[in-house]
Amino acid sequence: MLYFLPQKLFLFDSLSLFFLVVILIVSLPSLVYSFGYLKGDYSAAKIFLAQVLLLAFVLFMALIVSVRNCLIFLVFWEIMSLVSYFLVIFDTKHARSIQAGLIYIVMTHIGTAFIIAAFMILHNHAHSFDFFAIKNACLAMPSQTKNIVFLLFLIGFGTKAGIVPLHIWLPYAHPQAPSHISSIMSGVMIKTAIYGIIRFVMFILGVNSSWWGVLILILAVITCLVGIIYALMERDIKRLLAYSSVENIGIILLGVGLSMFFISLNLPYLAVFSLIAGLYHLVNHAIFKGLLFLCAGSVYKATGTRDIEKLGGLIKKMPQTSAYFLLGAMAISALPPLNGFVSEWLTLQAFFLGAFNVIGGSKLFLGICAAMLALTSGLAAACFVKAFGVTFLAKPKSHYAESAKEVALSMRIGMLILAVLIVIFGLAAALIIKLLAKVSGSALSIDISNMSFCLNNFTLFPQMAKNVYLSTPLLALWLIILGITGFAIYRIFGRGKLTIYKTWDCGYYKLDSRNEYTATAFSKPFRIAFSFFLLPYRKTQKIRESFYHIKSFTYETRTTKIFKKYIYDPVLAMVLKAAMFMRRIQPGSIHLYLGYIFITLLLLLIFMRQF
Amino acid sequence: MMIILQIILLIITAPLLSGLITKIKNNLRMRKGQSVLQPYYNLAKLFFKDEVISETASWIFRVTPFVVLSSTLVVGILIPVFIFTSPVHQMGDFLVIVFIFALGRFFLALSALDTGSSFGGMGASREMFISSLVEPALCMVIFAVSLQFGSTDISAFSSMHVISVSSVVAALALFLITIAETSRIPVDNQETHLELTMVHEAMVLEYSGRSLALIEMASYIKQMILFFLIAQLIFPIGLPVGNFAQILPWVLWYLIRIGIIAVLVALVEVSVAKMRLFRVADFLGFAFVLGVVATVCAILGV
Amino acid sequence: MQGIILFALLVSTYLMVIAKRMPALIRSFRYQSLLLFLVTLLAAFNEKQVELYLISGMIILVKVFLIPYFLNFTAKKIKLDENLGLFVNSQLSLLLALIFTYCSWVLSVNLGFGQLSLLSVAVSVAFSVILIGAFLMISRMKAFTQVVGILVMENGIFLLASSISGGMPFFAEIAIFFDVFISVVIMGIFVFRINKLFTHIDVNKLSRLKG
Repeated sequence: MLYFLPQKLFLFDSLSLFFLVVILIVSLPSLVYSFGYLKGDYSAAKIFLAQVLLLAFVLFMALIVSVRNCLIFLVFWEIMSLVSYFLVIFDTKHARSIQAGLIYIVMTHIGTAFIIAAFMILHNHAHSFDFFAIKNACLAMPSQTKNIVFLLFLIGFGTKAGIVPLHIWLPYAHPQAPSHISSIMSGVMIKTAIYGIIRFVMFILGVNSSWWGVLILILAVITCLVGIIYALMERDIKRLLAYSSVENIGIILLGVGLSMFFISLNLPYLAVFSLIAGLYHLVNHAIFKGLLFLCAGSVYKATGTRDIEKLGGLIKKMPQTSAYFLLGAMAISALPPLNGFVSEWLTLQAFFLGAFNVIGGSKLFLGICAAMLALTSGLAAACFVKAFGVTFLAKPKSHYAESAKEVALSMRIGMLILAVLIVIFGLAAALIIKLLAKVSGSALSIDISNMSFCLNNFTLFPQMAKNVYLSTPLLALWLIILGITGFAIYRIFGRGKLTIYKTWDCGYYKLDSRNEYTATAFSKPFRIAFSFFLLPYRKTQKIRESFYHIKSFTYETRTTKIFKKYIYDPVLAMVLKAAMFMRRIQPGSIHLYLGYIFITLLLLLIFMRQF
Repeated sequence: MMIILQIILLIITAPLLSGLITKIKNNLRMRKGQSVLQPYYNLAKLFFKDEVISETASWIFRVTPFVVLSSTLVVGILIPVFIFTSPVHQMGDFLVIVFIFALGRFFLALSALDTGSSFGGMGASREMFISSLVEPALCMVIFAVSLQFGSTDISAFSSMHVISVSSVVAALALFLITIAETSRIPVDNQETHLELTMVHEAMVLEYSGRSLALIEMASYIKQMILFFLIAQLIFPIGLPVGNFAQILPWVLWYLIRIGIIAVLVALVEVSVAKMRLFRVADFLGFAFVLGVVATVCAILGV
Repeated sequence: MQGIILFALLVSTYLMVIAKRMPALIRSFRYQSLLLFLVTLLAAFNEKQVELYLISGMIILVKVFLIPYFLNFTAKKIKLDENLGLFVNSQLSLLLALIFTYCSWVLSVNLGFGQLSLLSVAVSVAFSVILIGAFLMISRMKAFTQVVGILVMENGIFLLASSISGGMPFFAEIAIFFDVFISVVIMGIFVFRINKLFTHIDVNKLSRLKG
């Protein structure tokens, strides 16, 4: 069905098809969801505009991953950024939307500038914009140029993907956009940047030096840790999910960086394996982050607030939404037998297999990176225990939560589709890995016909590992069987008497929702443990009636955003200062402006001979 | 089948280990203490008690005991504690254990938050903090151990019979991790219900009756599994060979080494004071560093 | 013959430079356009091209009759004070205009049109008209003079193009005429609106509107 499209323009190899599938998997449920989400809050004309923009957004993302010409790629990349800008500032009632849109558009244009520079260097070398022509020319490119192009691509696509320290727009833009747009942005748009890295660095440029992989690994580890630590501190549910997206981009880049590292060391099986791990986590993250954002949107729509400290007890009022959020939280915390577990296992296994096959110091480096991945996985689990627990469990903490109701059917259907996909991608891991092997092979231009990754349709069995298996259906089966066994033990002596009573209150009978553990309190151990990075400060204020009686006590704690404070704010201040200085040439007098033109004309005429 | 045999053996012997540790501790404290079979009596008592559930709790609270027990038992059948190849070899390898424990812990923490009591929230917060710091240390230990075989296969692990510097250091790191995971002093105190000092107990504070019995059982089994791992690292034991006369001492040695680990744990519990929560980060960081040292030793081939 | 007309064109430009009031400016613009018409007519005779006749017809129609009429109409409507605010007083402007003429003469010689041929004279007159048109825009305060300055520059460009290459392509000429006419209309409207809003068209006072 795609044959009628001009062959010169489009490219449909396995990598592009894979990304098209990822885009569709997340966009269709979001589209279904949007019907219920937008109704009632906006006028019909604005809803129509929103749907048109959404379709344009998805269309241009799909076009980006399927073209084979650099110039057209850039055009579609720009259009996608612009359309997403309009979607970010869609909710123009809030001033924060405009601010978020501004930060987003500036950062994405900085990234695009770097990408354009890289394309110009490539074109200079290859005299063509076509991917395959450039790929041929890159075989003969001097390695200095390749290094520079690699760095330009890394910074350019890294801005869009959200690699630290270029991640700063993510926590502004993703919360402010409407939730179905946030899910598409977080699930798919930042993945197109990963597509750019894989396509341009691995496929076209060709990896020769090992420091590329090492650099990406280090950046990925930092991104993971920074993302999840900031996520732990958040109390706005969508901002928490945005920081968690930063963390997961780090995990995807761990797979990609490992793949580059192994290519440069000439280990083709491991390179394909790591890229499979990275791509699998990419599609998994798209699915479960999409689901989580849609659930967050449902919560926002039902309660009117995104602040989890004001919510609680929603599991009784919105049972379906909370079940979907629980599924998404389990998937993102890499709990078996869901899909997040498979991709994190694959990434860890890639580290381990790599360590067995490299020499000396690299083993230790890979081991420490693997340990950092395990750390972020643990922190992610903690983060989502907090997110799910404080939002949905216990008693409602304010009137926002008390008046919540389950959301509309179209929103629930959208979430259901993604929830089912989570389970499918977890249980059918072996089948999906077979498909991903083809994708990786084509992306790395490696022949995979001799490589096997699976024993049968249910079990993973990496060829290079000795005797290592993973079978998620079997795992799920045993979990269920043993769970039923536990239930049998429970009921073995009859039903037993069950009383429903108040929570244990130490004899004080007036416990209410204010006695519950808050999200800020939940994350306090992390705040203290990582205080060298978070630089928290607190302010307490006591109002006393007398020395012994304190009437009220205010406690405020905040963390310092070090990237914003120490990198972006000084740069911004410098730019503004320079701009104010340059402003002096514009005093507002038309005659002066015309005079500028006149003098330029004169100078050109006088010095015409030189040109 | 082997699987059922392993499960039944685990369920039967795990409380005995806990009883043994408590008895040793009490003896060190110059008391007569409870009998070694006390955990069995406790479990039996809990089985016949009524259950009280908070009105704020939801279905997560009811489901958690089964999830925790099931996840622990799955790890139990994955690791060949009593036999030599994992009965469900095709299910997973060493790394899967970390994630399966995480499953149980996730639900336990959620159920703690479910009841809306401050104890539960506190327990959940501290438990997730400690567990997230355990993960890198555990990963380094697995890494160091796997480097010796070139694989993360569990069967290779359980059939090793070489002691090297690397495995001893890894065992020490695993010992520290086990103290954290099984909620023993200096990380957590199982014998107290004061909010300043409890982590695991705070999470299960609201549970009563049979659900509590299931959760206690799960924690005993987890302890057993972790002790087995340490024992295998320090006192590796190969496959049994020979005739019946040689199998019996082999079985005895198999059980004794777990007992030695139990004695060590009891000694540590009695002699050290419980640490402040924020110092647990340093404690587990030390475990991580030990794991790195074990890796370096494994790389050097020592 | 052509030389004299060109010289007269230059003089009419100087008249614009020293004009201190609005009617004088528009009158000199009219003379300039008339002379331009004569130059084009002569060229049409010599070259024997029909298009040039058409173009010269358009010049006289649009630039000699329509545009000055429109400018006068606007001027009367806004009832302004007829004084053109001068940044540079008229004697100094005349001196500058002479310097510009010298510069354009040097330029046309350097461009290789020969020392004293008709072509070099035409080119130098054209350049000086362009420069003086730009200068008019800069050195007068009222918004009107900016309009007139553009028209003068357009005259100069037309002269330059027709002397170097025998005129621009026909349709380009028509398009330019049309553009110029419409621009004048629009600028007339704007001047009217500016006057209505600010009750003056002193652009110098509009300098508070800056970015």
